[in-house]
Amino acid sequence: MTVNQNELLSALVDGELTGRELDDALHLLDTNEQARMQLQRYQRGSDVMHEHGLAHHQIDLTGRISAVIEDEETYSSITEANKNTAQIIAFPKQFWKQAASLAVAASIGALAVVGVMTQPQNQLVPTAQMASVEVETTPMVVAQTGKRWTVQEQEVEERLNNYLVDHNEYAGASGVFSYARVVSYDMGQ
Amino acid sequence: MNVDLELVQRVQAGDKKAFDVLILKYQQRIVHVITGFVHDPVEALDVAQEAFIKAYRAIPNFRGDSAFYTWLYRIAINTAKNHLTSRARRPPAVDVDAMDATNFYDAPELKEFETPESSLMSDELKQTIHQAIQDLPEDTATAIKLRELEGMSYEEIAQAMECPIGTVRSRIFRARDAIDKQIQETMGEGE
Repeated sequence: MTVNQNELLSALVDGELTGRELDDALHLLDTNEQARMQLQRYQRGSDVMHEHGLAHHQIDLTGRISAVIEDEETYSSITEANKNTAQIIAFPKQFWKQAASLAVAASIGALAVVGVMTQPQNQLVPTAQMASVEVETTPMVVAQTGKRWTVQEQEVEERLNNYLVDHNEYAGASGVFSYARVVSYDMGQ
Repeated sequence: MNVDLELVQRVQAGDKKAFDVLILKYQQRIVHVITGFVHDPVEALDVAQEAFIKAYRAIPNFRGDSAFYTWLYRIAINTAKNHLTSRARRPPAVDVDAMDATNFYDAPELKEFETPESSLMSDELKQTIHQAIQDLPEDTATAIKLRELEGMSYEEIAQAMECPIGTVRSRIFRARDAIDKQIQETMGEGE
């Protein structure tokens, strides 16, 4: 053991080594049994000064512990293994593109349904009062006797019918109670 | 960077030899702490071994929020308590804050395990070290006192003593080497 090597170990006891010097110290301790003993003795002196231990019980647990952890995976290898596992189950980029497209399409579809459902239907749902206002001279054939609306204007009638058909198409998928079960065409129509 | 933290990072990177250095550095303290619980030096070695192995397995979770020794100390205390529980023995009622880990030995409840012989030897070693420091040149003695008793870093000592850090390092090494030789002589160890 040279003076420089011992000085290196002394600095290691004080926690004053970094980088290259720490590499050198670790290499020295790995290859030189006398260096390990010297480090323990320096550490013992420090411990006694700090009353951190009983110097006359000189111990070395490194051999016993190294034997146990020798076959254990290191943290870095576990991390690497996890990375590999993650790569195996990772979805390809194409999947995410398709998923994104589907999500956009679904959003547009949902907006369409909501748009239809939130239309101010009370303006379109026929009521006796409404019919009586608009059609004064003709007798009404309206909801009281049948289950469907009767509107005189052809344009409004067609519009209502379209709404009804559209609603029926989406109602099942969205879980909304089908309005068509309440208002529908009369028997035979 | 703190050496302990750098050693921990090396262990986390797969360098098991770096963990050896952490063991060499702290085994004496940890065994002493555990002996305070289990009151049997041989049993304490087994528990200390278990504590270090637990620490090695848990080291991926160590983020450096506390000092490594504080973290290791907590593991050692828990391992010792679990050991006593598994042996249907009652852990000491005293509990020591991990932040006061370095002052742990002042707890009188945990010093009962010291035999008169070991206590005498401890006193003799302290006297040996004291005398060894007294025999050192003044600059060397001051450097080791500032380091070991005041806990100052090399840089702080260099500022206080108005000398280069390399000189501080050299003085501390010479002091430590002289102290070690005196301890070996006292304990009857030959080179």
